[in-house]
Amino acid sequence: MDAALRQSLRDGEMLGARYALQIPQVAASGIIGSRAGRRAGSSIDFQDYREYQPGDDLRFIDWGIYARTDRLTVKLFREEVTPHLDLILDGSRSMNLEGTIKSTAVAQLAALLATSAANAQCSQAVWLSGEGFQRLPNDTLSPSAWDKLELSSSRTPEQSYEILPPKFRHLGVRVFVSDLLWPGEPVQLLRRLREGAAALFVIQLLARDDATPPEHGNLRVVDSETGIENEIYIDSSSAKQYAENLAQLQQSWSDACRQCGAQMTTLIAEDLESSLGELEAIQLLIPA
Amino acid sequence: MIPFLTYPLAMLALATVPALAAIYILRNRYRRKQVSSLLLWRFQVQSKAGGAKVHRLQLPLIFFLELLALLLLVVAATGPHWQLPQSQRPLIVVLDDSFSMRATKDGISAQTSAHDFLEKLFRQQPPPNTRLVLAGTEPRSLGASVKNWREVENLLPQWKCWSPGAAIDSAITLATELGKQQANLLVLTDHKPADEKISNPRLEWRAFGSAQDNFAIVNASRTVFGEQDRCLLEIANFSGGARTTKLLVQTGSNAPQSSVISLGAHENQRLVFNIAFSAPSLHAVLEKDSLAEDNEVQLLPPIRKRVRVQVALTNENSSTLVSRTLEATGLRAAISENPELVIHETDTVTSSNSWSLRWSGDGATNAYTGPFILDNSHPLAAGVALEGIVWAAASATNSPGDVPVILAGNVPLLSVREDVAGRRHLTLNFNPALSTLQNTPDLPIIFFNILQWRIAEMPGLKESNTRLGAEVILKTTGETVTVTQPDGEKKVFPKTGGELALETPVPGIYSVATGVVTNLFSVNAMTADESDLSANATSQWGQWSEDTQRRLEEASAVWIFGLLAAALLATHLYLIASGKGAK
Repeated sequence: MDAALRQSLRDGEMLGARYALQIPQVAASGIIGSRAGRRAGSSIDFQDYREYQPGDDLRFIDWGIYARTDRLTVKLFREEVTPHLDLILDGSRSMNLEGTIKSTAVAQLAALLATSAANAQCSQAVWLSGEGFQRLPNDTLSPSAWDKLELSSSRTPEQSYEILPPKFRHLGVRVFVSDLLWPGEPVQLLRRLREGAAALFVIQLLARDDATPPEHGNLRVVDSETGIENEIYIDSSSAKQYAENLAQLQQSWSDACRQCGAQMTTLIAEDLESSLGELEAIQLLIPA
Repeated sequence: MIPFLTYPLAMLALATVPALAAIYILRNRYRRKQVSSLLLWRFQVQSKAGGAKVHRLQLPLIFFLELLALLLLVVAATGPHWQLPQSQRPLIVVLDDSFSMRATKDGISAQTSAHDFLEKLFRQQPPPNTRLVLAGTEPRSLGASVKNWREVENLLPQWKCWSPGAAIDSAITLATELGKQQANLLVLTDHKPADEKISNPRLEWRAFGSAQDNFAIVNASRTVFGEQDRCLLEIANFSGGARTTKLLVQTGSNAPQSSVISLGAHENQRLVFNIAFSAPSLHAVLEKDSLAEDNEVQLLPPIRKRVRVQVALTNENSSTLVSRTLEATGLRAAISENPELVIHETDTVTSSNSWSLRWSGDGATNAYTGPFILDNSHPLAAGVALEGIVWAAASATNSPGDVPVILAGNVPLLSVREDVAGRRHLTLNFNPALSTLQNTPDLPIIFFNILQWRIAEMPGLKESNTRLGAEVILKTTGETVTVTQPDGEKKVFPKTGGELALETPVPGIYSVATGVVTNLFSVNAMTADESDLSANATSQWGQWSEDTQRRLEEASAVWIFGLLAAALLATHLYLIASGKGAK
């Protein structure tokens, strides 16, 4: 893996130490863990009594009550669960845009989210799009131990999903990090990502070059994913048109997110550290 | 194809076009830039389908504005003209200015008829603009173009019909040049064209004359004849049959003498008679007929100029010979004070305006029998034959500055020198003792030529009677000259030395005031061709073709291109100022 990316993971890890993932209530279920679940479980925290029903664990019968009332009553304890974060990273080449720090920002953001999830006692899985969605090696460990974070795919996340969809944990918190710059209908992908998730957050990570049109003049623009070139003349009109197209794209993703109950925000790679407040605003992170 | 080589400015401006293109091409080189996706550039992206595509040149609007402005300036620098359609052609009227136009029939002259026709033409269908060309002995344009009849009328007083001839062909040529092959030409005259079949579709020839009988005085002169004046009158009958007229001749205040002249068809009769030299003027009048202008002549006394000669020869024989020869010329004045010619043997200083004739060769023993070389173009050699004579002369060579007129081999016999004051000094290398020249007419001829030449250089008029249209030469010595014409018009010539050629546009008595001296000369309308009215007619030859009614007129279009360029530059400025220039 690229040393720069590795360093970014470390930086993100350090940055993430200040935050914790905000777990929504609906996400308080899952495998047995250290967090109180929303159902009765096997923790030591007493929750309630109820009448014995066949099949109940005989270990939780309150024999004192049976002695006094001759009725079988079981004690209910709060369930302890481990929430889960599914971090979905866009592995296409556009996330590794030449001449920008977009790729390191991806790594930094991913590490930040993973660290903040760990701070919130969440398990985590990091999915990288490519020829299908694959988990990063060592993704359950701390970000600095991750491997093969390579942003070099020529496929869009949508195409990757078609090839091999990720196996998300049920009721996990899912965070999708991408520049969202591909043609297609966002609702379809978002529905799939949202399905079975406690919450879905879409973080659009753009380089400043993506967010602002280039200076006036003639440009031979090269698509980082397809390699297609086009010669265009940038003037105030085309710059305005570019900005309008970007706004339109963001609006379509925003509408789709609203439709699917997802939260969306846009970050600029170059301003990542200063714009983490946006993640708090969408209730993804809270200070640790 | 614009001939750029003939327009250096256009060539220079054109050279800036590739420079401008180079600037934009260099400026518009494509920078390579990788982008996340072409999705956001979809409005600029063209389909790759269909194979190779042609890229449109990506140039801003201001480039095209600048290019267009440059091209407009290039075209403007070539001085473009365009042809504008006009509903009517301009008109150029050629007016016959000869005095035959004054011939009347039933009291109406051809000039009057032509005038009325022109007025009617303007009243009915005024041309867009009109020029008038007078066809006199030389064609002359009457001012600039005029637009309406009132302006034409202001010019017509110059159409006096006093010219002794009408160069209509030359006038048509001038009119064609003035009209740039686009104008309609109208000839107003009194006679038919030389070639009655007019091929020019833009020429209309209209004659308003009429074939009439006419008597005319076609020649008249009054010359010195000893102590009298000899007069010649030539009368011509330009009629189809024999006719009779009455001639009245009045000399001074004497009673007029009448005589009857009977002549056959197209016959002439010359009358030669003498009158006293003291008679102030001779007035000859024929009976009134259709053309009055050629019926009358006035002849003033001829100019009698004589030279005051001082003979200062010491050799008595030579002096006698010279005096006798001078008397034979009839040009020597009776007095010799303030001499105008001094004949002497040595280089005597002469008075301010006198010429000198140095008589050398006395005692010379070289006798030449010829061949003699004469400068026949020189006035002193006119009529000199020198055949079979013996001319004794000193064997001298030509002095520097002397122009030899007669030579025997390389020996100058008669030579001339002009000094800084314009006086001429003649040298006659002649020894009469051993010569036979004095026994031939050649010696008096030489002296006559000398005196005649001297007279020709004296100030004043050269002649007192001339024909209409001829120039009268006036020798001046630097005074202001005022000429008063018979019609009262005065012309003042500022102080000029040398010869003045005076025009004679109208017949009659002219007065020439030079300093305190006033001289008169008479101008008579005597032109046989104009007096012959037999070929005059009233008709029309040629007609402006219908297809030439519409025409294309060339107009300068420079201002249009300049205006367009200025508008483009203003737009350019606006776009730059508003920041829309790169669109």
